[in-house]
Amino acid sequence: MKVLIVGDGARENALAKSLSLESSNEIFALSSYINPGIKEIVDSTKGKYFLGEITPEQVREVISRVNPDMGVIGPEDPLFRGVSDEFRKEGIPAFGASKKNARIEESKVWARWLMWKYEIPGRLRYKAFSTMEEAAKFISEYGGSLAVKPAGQAGGKGVKVIADIQAYLSKDKRQAMAKSVNEIGSYYNKEGEPKIIVEEKVDGPEYTLHVLSDGNTIMPLPLAQDYKNAYQDGIGPETGGMGSVSGPGFLLPFINQDEYDETFEIVKRTVSAVEKETGESYTGVIAGQMMLTGLWGPTVIEYYSRFGDPEASAIIPRIQDFGDLVVRTATGHLSGAKLKVDERPSLVWAVSPLGYPLDRKLASGHRISIDLPKVREIGCDVFFGSVALEGSFLVTKGSRALELVCLGDFEESKRRLLKSMSFIDSDVKLIYRTDIGSTIQEQAEKAEIVRYTYTSRKSRGTLGVSADWSPNGGLW
Amino acid sequence: MAGLIGILAFDKIWNINKFLYYGLIGVQHRGYSKSGVSLLSEEGLIRTTRASVAPEDLEFGELEGWAGIGYAGTLNYPVQGKGISMAVDGVLKDQEKFIEELEKDPIEAVKRAKPTFTFVAITRDGKIIAYRDYLGLKPLSIGGFGFDMAIVSSEMTSMNVIGGELRREVEPGEMVIIDRLNVESVKLFPPEKNYCSIEYIYQARIDSFVDEREIYSLRLRIGERLAEEYPIEADSVVGVPDTAVPFALGYSKKTGIPMDLGFTRTGSPIRTMLASDDFTKVVGIQLKLNPIKPAFFNKRVVLIDDSMVTGTTLKNTVFSLRRLGAKEVHILIGSPKLTSKCPYGVAVPEEKELIAANLPDDEIAKVIGADSIHWLSLEGLYSAIGHRSLCMGCMTGKYPTR
Repeated sequence: MKVLIVGDGARENALAKSLSLESSNEIFALSSYINPGIKEIVDSTKGKYFLGEITPEQVREVISRVNPDMGVIGPEDPLFRGVSDEFRKEGIPAFGASKKNARIEESKVWARWLMWKYEIPGRLRYKAFSTMEEAAKFISEYGGSLAVKPAGQAGGKGVKVIADIQAYLSKDKRQAMAKSVNEIGSYYNKEGEPKIIVEEKVDGPEYTLHVLSDGNTIMPLPLAQDYKNAYQDGIGPETGGMGSVSGPGFLLPFINQDEYDETFEIVKRTVSAVEKETGESYTGVIAGQMMLTGLWGPTVIEYYSRFGDPEASAIIPRIQDFGDLVVRTATGHLSGAKLKVDERPSLVWAVSPLGYPLDRKLASGHRISIDLPKVREIGCDVFFGSVALEGSFLVTKGSRALELVCLGDFEESKRRLLKSMSFIDSDVKLIYRTDIGSTIQEQAEKAEIVRYTYTSRKSRGTLGVSADWSPNGGLW
Repeated sequence: MAGLIGILAFDKIWNINKFLYYGLIGVQHRGYSKSGVSLLSEEGLIRTTRASVAPEDLEFGELEGWAGIGYAGTLNYPVQGKGISMAVDGVLKDQEKFIEELEKDPIEAVKRAKPTFTFVAITRDGKIIAYRDYLGLKPLSIGGFGFDMAIVSSEMTSMNVIGGELRREVEPGEMVIIDRLNVESVKLFPPEKNYCSIEYIYQARIDSFVDEREIYSLRLRIGERLAEEYPIEADSVVGVPDTAVPFALGYSKKTGIPMDLGFTRTGSPIRTMLASDDFTKVVGIQLKLNPIKPAFFNKRVVLIDDSMVTGTTLKNTVFSLRRLGAKEVHILIGSPKLTSKCPYGVAVPEEKELIAANLPDDEIAKVIGADSIHWLSLEGLYSAIGHRSLCMGCMTGKYPTR
């Protein structure tokens, strides 16, 4: 079967690899640069690599040249632009949400609106603003603790949180927030849509549940957790994720089976709600980026209409014949499929050049080298991200260059990942977080703390009940 | 004794001066007779202000910036070199030379000096450099404020006060270099853990996590140990505020003797042991401790304090308690006897000023006017803390560096 993969990062590398394990598959790819990991797979399966911008027009062009049996779309942006619809128009099955369905990720305001309309648990109070002035005014007047985000998906950029517990500081925090509203608003500019969303702020450990949906059947995958702060020990600016963990089993050590089930229920109801609104069946993956909070227990922070990156690198290698599940999802044959998960947990470290995420220019254009056989010899694997094969060199593109994956208990994996790092060399300093997977105990304590609150709320029937008040803003 | 703090915002839109101000107040229990801050402006200028006041009263004036350091203690910090400013917890003798070397090459400077002090510094090119002494005598922690700031501080109390979160303690001998693009850890010396016993007994705040321990729980254990070592027949247990209150609580829990709140305060808290002149000490204690009559009247009292230096404070207190009708006053001290000076900058006075170094117990009881007086044993302290990687120099005269 000819499979055309669209996208250029570590997530697409992981997807491509899972599909290449079925020996009859030929992997073709369309990326904006040559990803060395995808290239290796394309070459070994006798496919072809296409370079170009990932636009519907370009995809149409490549489809006509490859005539694939299936399309796999990795990143969110092509989904927002209707790339999976291009496949389906030609009668080719595609793994990837339609343009309309991908709106669950693209518009955070729509996602919240949907949750309230269909009374899906785990929803938060929100306000949407079309002008920066209104948003800034609301923020500087308001009394509660707030999360301020671009109203739509902006690659995780621009999220600010302020907590109002420390009232004596709130003026300064609010001022900084109001100042950065301009920046936050600039990340999402869509004609006729709100620019900024302000939500009540919640606290607790985060985790992600990915769910496959073929339009009729849905199948939840093992949980994963990603780590957003750029630097060691969870300090530093927000990134797309500097690493992730998944497992053991279907859970994470700090999330219990009931919470998993409730989370699945939330995502399931979301899929039905989306399908009802758009009139199109949901085909591909949908993920709830969750937080376990005192307010609700499982609470939705946002949705993904695709695999999270680096969560994909933690989840996919743990699933047997994942490529087969991708095919079944795209073709509507998920019903009756077996999900076989490696019991061992996985640990993923992202490696990025110094400069990421605040100075992408500084982080770009550096050479990096890796002794791949040596890394694989010690039982780790590498997915290539923001790094391009230029001639015989690997050159950084400004974001997370590599994702290293290891299965096994966290301590042992950490040792092996540290060893792997010694097989990687670069003319720029490399940033990676060795604390990923070693703060499980702290997460467990955090989870236990919010569990006290939400179980008590549950018994009193006050799950999700909250409000804020300010002299100027009134009750909200 | 000093409280140190350093804050760096990853986005220069932040003006962190309020964060620095409140963060510094969060460590002012470590020393408050002098304070100061240095802030780095967007243009790359370091400006410093210092005054002989507590952090609460420090005027920032026009000082603004996106990164900065702060000091609360008994010395004149921060001191500024050309493109660097630093503040020290501990004893740094040749300041000028060290700062000059630090500015040139921080790692080399520390390697060469092998300091027993802990410091934070800020450089003009936007780095916060923090080093914890290889003996772990002084505490130092690192934390964050969301996606916005990195914070280093003597104690996590300053992170909590501004809404940040402790990530971990900096290891003894470790240097942390923070800038907008990275947080880097350099292990310069292998840790030779000699955690300061005084941190555990009274320096650190009770809501703090310092030197691998929750301070509140540890202090309850000290009280429990005192109960095991000195079970006294009494009607009431009272702890001298603030530090000795958890000791009294532990003692009360263990013995079943009810605890009373024996004192309230006039004015703001002043730490008698840190007060610089005798007048302040005498006035200080009267301001500090106003005994509450019903807590003592017609009662046999166990009075617990954290330490004893000259005994002045306790003598006055015991005198007041008798006047209010205490039938017996038994004194327990939540630390072993302090007998030697601290070479690392903890304010333990000279031997000649230390009553415990000069008089036998029965004489001390006579001076204080108490029915009995006992100190926590060294073994008791070890067991309450739960490890022996300690500097107990002020109690034993044995120091890790000599």
